Amino acid sequence: MGAEVTQVSAFTAVLAHALCLAGLAAAHSLAGRGALLSDPAHALRLLVVCEAPLVIVVFSLLRRDPKRCSFLKAAARGLLGLPIGAFLNAFGAIVLGAPVGIKYWIATTYWSCLMSLFTFVPAACVFGASKVDWQNVLSHSIYGTSSNVADYMISAPSHGAVIGAWLGAWPMPLDWERPWQVKILTATF
Amino acid sequence: MGAAVAEWTVAAVLLQVAGLSLFLYGFFPVKPTLPGFSGAESYRAPSCGPVGCGEGPALPPDQLRSLYRELSEVPHVYDRLVLMVIDGLPAEFVLGRGGKPPAREMMESMPYTQSLLAGCRAVGYHAKAAPPTVTMPRLKAMVSGAIGGFLDVALNFNTQAFLDDNILDQLHTIGYKLVMLGDETWIKLFPTLFYRQDGVSSFYVKDTVEVDFNVSRHLESELAAKDWDALILHYLGLDHVGHIGGRQSNLMTPKLKEMDDVIRRIHAAVTSIQDNSHRTLLVVVSDHGMTEVGNHGGSSYEETDSLALFIGHSVESSHCSPYDQKEALQVDLAPTLALLFGIPIPKNNIGVLLPELFNSLADDQKLRTLELNSWQILRLLQKQRPAFCSEDCVDSKDDFGADMLPESTEKKLCRLLSKAFASHRSSLLHRDSNFRSVEAAGLFGAAVDSYSGFLRHASEWLSHRATDKPLYLLASAISLMIISCFSLAGIISCIFKGPPQIKVEHHSELDLDKNWHLDEVFILMGIFLYVASLGSSSFVEEEQYIWHFLTSTLYLIFLIKTVQSILKESNSTLVHRSETKTFHKNNSSYLASYKLIPGQQDGCKLYTVLIVLVAGRILRAWYQGGINWVHFPDISKILNQSDSSIVKSLQTISVLAVVVLYSVSLMLLRTRRILIIGLWLSHLSCGLLVMLHIWKSQVDTSVPINNHSTTSIAQIFYVIASISVTCTFLLSPWIFPTHSKEAEPTSSSGSNPEKAHGLNHSVFLTGVTYTMFWCLLQLLLQQPINAVPVLLILLQIISSVIYFSLEKSLHRQWVQVVAMQFLGMTGHFGLGNTNSLASIDVAGAFIGISSYSTVLSGVLMFIITYGSPLLLYLGMVVHMSVKDSNDISTPQQWSSVLSRMIALPCLLPLLVNSIALTSYTIVLLLMRNHLFVWSVFSPKYLYVCAATVCTYAGVLVIAMTGAYTCAVLSFRTRNYRDKSVDQIDG
Repeated sequence: MGAEVTQVSAFTAVLAHALCLAGLAAAHSLAGRGALLSDPAHALRLLVVCEAPLVIVVFSLLRRDPKRCSFLKAAARGLLGLPIGAFLNAFGAIVLGAPVGIKYWIATTYWSCLMSLFTFVPAACVFGASKVDWQNVLSHSIYGTSSNVADYMISAPSHGAVIGAWLGAWPMPLDWERPWQVKILTATF
Repeated sequence: MGAAVAEWTVAAVLLQVAGLSLFLYGFFPVKPTLPGFSGAESYRAPSCGPVGCGEGPALPPDQLRSLYRELSEVPHVYDRLVLMVIDGLPAEFVLGRGGKPPAREMMESMPYTQSLLAGCRAVGYHAKAAPPTVTMPRLKAMVSGAIGGFLDVALNFNTQAFLDDNILDQLHTIGYKLVMLGDETWIKLFPTLFYRQDGVSSFYVKDTVEVDFNVSRHLESELAAKDWDALILHYLGLDHVGHIGGRQSNLMTPKLKEMDDVIRRIHAAVTSIQDNSHRTLLVVVSDHGMTEVGNHGGSSYEETDSLALFIGHSVESSHCSPYDQKEALQVDLAPTLALLFGIPIPKNNIGVLLPELFNSLADDQKLRTLELNSWQILRLLQKQRPAFCSEDCVDSKDDFGADMLPESTEKKLCRLLSKAFASHRSSLLHRDSNFRSVEAAGLFGAAVDSYSGFLRHASEWLSHRATDKPLYLLASAISLMIISCFSLAGIISCIFKGPPQIKVEHHSELDLDKNWHLDEVFILMGIFLYVASLGSSSFVEEEQYIWHFLTSTLYLIFLIKTVQSILKESNSTLVHRSETKTFHKNNSSYLASYKLIPGQQDGCKLYTVLIVLVAGRILRAWYQGGINWVHFPDISKILNQSDSSIVKSLQTISVLAVVVLYSVSLMLLRTRRILIIGLWLSHLSCGLLVMLHIWKSQVDTSVPINNHSTTSIAQIFYVIASISVTCTFLLSPWIFPTHSKEAEPTSSSGSNPEKAHGLNHSVFLTGVTYTMFWCLLQLLLQQPINAVPVLLILLQIISSVIYFSLEKSLHRQWVQVVAMQFLGMTGHFGLGNTNSLASIDVAGAFIGISSYSTVLSGVLMFIITYGSPLLLYLGMVVHMSVKDSNDISTPQQWSSVLSRMIALPCLLPLLVNSIALTSYTIVLLLMRNHLFVWSVFSPKYLYVCAATVCTYAGVLVIAMTGAYTCAVLSFRTRNYRDKSVDQIDG
C-alpha cells in the first residue's frame, strides 16, 4: 500500500477478472448457442449491454488513487473511454480488413465496443489520464520489470484480447466457418 | 568483406536456381507427345520399329478420303457434321443429375431437346472436362482428344494457332469444307482452316443477346446452303448469362429457350434433306460447366460437368432411359467423331470412343472401331513406355485366367490388350466360319469387354501419367534449395554480427539495444505463419488476405510505436529537446531537413503511417476475394459496370498525380541541371503519351484489335522511357558535386558529409526516376481499372520512405526492408492478381507490339503481373538514398559504404523469397497427391517461381545502381583529390 496509490492485490485482480468473465458467460448463454453466427449484431449487442456496467463498476472500484478521485468520476471516465476505445478498435479492424458498409456497420460498432470493454475501459477506469501509466500499458516492456499488480491486471488481458482477436482473424480465408472464430469473424463478415 | 559477401550471395542464388530447375524438371514432366498427323498407318497394327514414312499428304483429298475408308474397313456413319458448342452449359441443365431428370423449369425451357431425349432420338453424356475449365484448352481437348500437360496449359497463353493433330485438320485433309460461326477462339486456333467464318469476340461480357444473334443470323442461309460438310457454331451467350447472374439468373430460361430453338431449327433442316449422301450428325457440346454463381476455371463437379449430346440416326433406338447418369470424358469426343467420319484418330488422343454412337454398325465393325482406338492408344503408350513395344506384350498367349496378384500397371494393360486382341481374333474366326451362335455372341461380348477395359485403363493411366515423379531428384532439388536458404540466412547473420560496433556506438543514446522489438518479433512470427498457412489450399487461394493482414498489422505496430515514442518524447521534452534537435540536424537528409520542428515531424510520421494503412485498405477493397470468393462485391466490379468515362477520368487523375509527384521530388533536389530538366520534360511527355493512349484506346473499344496509332504511341513511350532511365542511371553520379566549394578538400571530416550527400542525391535521383517511369509504364499496361491501385501503391511507397527517413531510430533497417517487401506483395494482390492463372492479364501483353512475339509479350506479361513487387524494389533504391546519410560519416572506404548501403536491401528479399520458395516446394512435394494439386498448388508454384525471378531482377537493379554509383563517385573523389594535391604541389 502506497501513500496515495492503492496497491491491488493479485487476488483482487483475479477476482475482478473472474467477475467479468462470469458476466460474459452469462450474457453468452443468454444469447443462446450459435447466436454469434446466426445473428451477430444482436448477440454482440447483448454482450456489450451485459458487460459494460460490470466492467465499469468493477474497475472503477479498483481505481488507482481513490483519495483524489471518486467512484463516480472513475465510472464517468470509463463511460467516456468506451466510445473512444471503440473508435480506435473500429479503426484497427477496418484497416485490417473489416468490411465498410451499412450492412456491416452495426456489427462492427458492437464488436468494437466489446473490444473496447476488454482493452480500453479498464485502463481508463483505473488509470485516468495519467500519462505514464498509459505508456506502460501501450508498451510491452512491463513484463518482468514492473512489480505493480494493477499494471498486469490491465495490460495483460488487453494485450491478450488484441492478440486473440488477431489470431482469430487469421483463419478467415478458409472456406469453413466455425463458431470459435467468434470475434473478428462477426466483425468482418 | 563486401566482396566475400557478394560471392557467397551469388553462390547461394546459383544453388537456388539449380535446385529450382531440378525440381521443375522433376515435378512437371513434359509429356512426350507424338508429332505430326495420323495418316494411313493408323489403320495398321502398331510396331515399334522405325515407321516407314513417305506416304504423306501427297495424295489429293478425294483419294485420301477413299483410301482411309478402304483401310478402315468400317463404313463412315455420317457425311456431315454440325457441331454446336454452347459455352458454359452444365450437363445438369439438360440431363439432370444422379439419374434424376433436371428441374421442371429446365425441362420446360428446352422442350425440343427434351422431346428428342425422351423419344430416344438423342443420347446425352456427362462429359467430364479436365481443369482448367476455360474455353480454349477445352476446345483443344475436344478436337484433339489430348489433355495438355500442366505446363502446356501454363506456357501456351499466347499460342494462337493449334498445331497438334486434331479432327478438324483431319477433316480438312480429306476435303471437307468447314464453316465456323461464333466465338473467334476457333479462328485463333485454326486461322486458315475455315471455308467461311464469322467470329464474334467474347470481349464484352455484359452482352448476352448480340453475341448469339450474330451467330444465329447466318443460320438460315447456312442451313440452306449445301456446300459445307462441317458446320461449327459456338454460342457464348449462356456463359455471359452465367457470369452476370449465375445459374439462377432470370436470363437463363430465355437463353435456354433460344438454344433449344436453334437445336430445333438445325435438326429440322438436317432431317429434311436426309438422304444417303447427307447423313448429318448434330453434336451439342459445352466446353465447361459453371458454378452456382456462374464462374468457371476450377475443378469442381459443377464446372467440369459439361454436356455432350448426339443427335443422329445411329443413336436412335427403340427404348432408352435418357436421364441415366452416363459418364464420359470430354476427350472422348475426338475418337468418336473421327471413327464416325472415317478419319484417323488424332495421334495424342487419350479418349475412348462412345459405343452408343456405333449402334448402326455390325458387330465385327464395332470391334474394328475398338481395335483402331486401341492401336492408337497403344502407339501413345509405346511412346511413353518402351515396355509396351515388346512383342510378348501384345502377343502373349499365356495365362489369361490367372487374375493374380497386384501387378504393375504396364503388365495389367498388356494383359488386357492381348486378351482383347485374342478374343477379337477368335470372334473374327467364328464369323468367317459363318457360325452364328450363342458362342459367337459371347466371344463378341468378351472382346468388347476386354477392349473397353483396356481403353478405359489406358486412358486413365495416360491422363494420370504426370503424377509419378522421380523422388530422389525432387529430394536433391529440395536439399539444394534448403542449403541455399540457410547460406543466405548465414550471410545475413554474419552481416549483423560483423559491424555492430559502429551501429551500437552510433545509436547508443537512442535505445536501439539488443532487445527484440515488437515489430521484429512480429515479422518473424508473420513469416512463420505465412509459411505454415501455405499448406492449406484455401489459404493459397485467398493469399491476398494473409498479405494484407500481415502488412497492415505491421504498419499498425509502427503506428503504435510511433505514438509511444511521441508520448515518451513529450514526457521528457525538456530534457531531450535540445538533444533531439541536434540529432535531427546531424542526420539531415534533405527530406527531413524541411521539417525540423519536432511537433510537425511527429504529425508527419503519424500521417505517413495512416496514409499507408488507408491506402492499403482501399487496395483491399478494390479486389475482394481470390479464387473462392470472387463473387464478393468490390470497387473494381462496380467500376466495371459503371460508365467508362469514370474509369477514364480516374486514369487521367492517376497519370497527372504521378507526373506531379515526380516534379515535386525533382524539386527536392534543388538543382537546375540540364539533365534534371530534361528528365522532367521526358517524364512529362511520357505522361502525355500514356494519356493519349488511354483516350485513343477507349475511343475504339469496339475494335478490340489493337490498331496502329495506339501501337505506335506505346512504342514511342517505350523508347523515351528507356532512354531517359538509362541516361539517369549512367549520368546521375556525375552531375552532383562531390565536394562543396568551401570545404577543405584534404580534411576528410569536412568532405565526408558532402560525399554522402552526393551519393545520396544521385541514388535518390536514380531511384525516383526508376519508380516514376515504372509507374507510368504500369499505367500504360495495366487494365484501365487498375490505374488507381497503382497510384495507391506509389503513395504507400512514398509515405513509407518518408516515414522511415523520419524515424531512423525506431526501426532497424532490416525491419524497414521487410516492410517494403510486404507492401510489394500486398500490392501484387491489390492489383487483382490471384494464385490462379486465370487472372493474368493477357490483353495487356500485346500493347505496343506490332508483330507477334512470344518473348516480348511474355516480358510484358511479367511486367504487368509483377508490377507491384518490382515497383517496391525500385522504391527500395529511393529508400536506400534517404536512409543512411548518418551511417557513412566514419568510414572512408567506398566499398564499405557500398556494402552497408546495398547489403541488406539485396539480401533480405532474397532470404524471404528463398524461405517462401523452399517451404512451398516442400509443401508441393507433400501435397503431390492432393486433390487440388493441379488446380491450386501448381499454379501457385508457378507464381512462386515467377516471384523468384522478380526478386532476382529487383535485387539486380538495386545492386547495379548502388555499385555503379559508388564506383563512379569513388573514381571522381580520387580524381578530385589527386587534382587538389596537384594544385597544392604546384
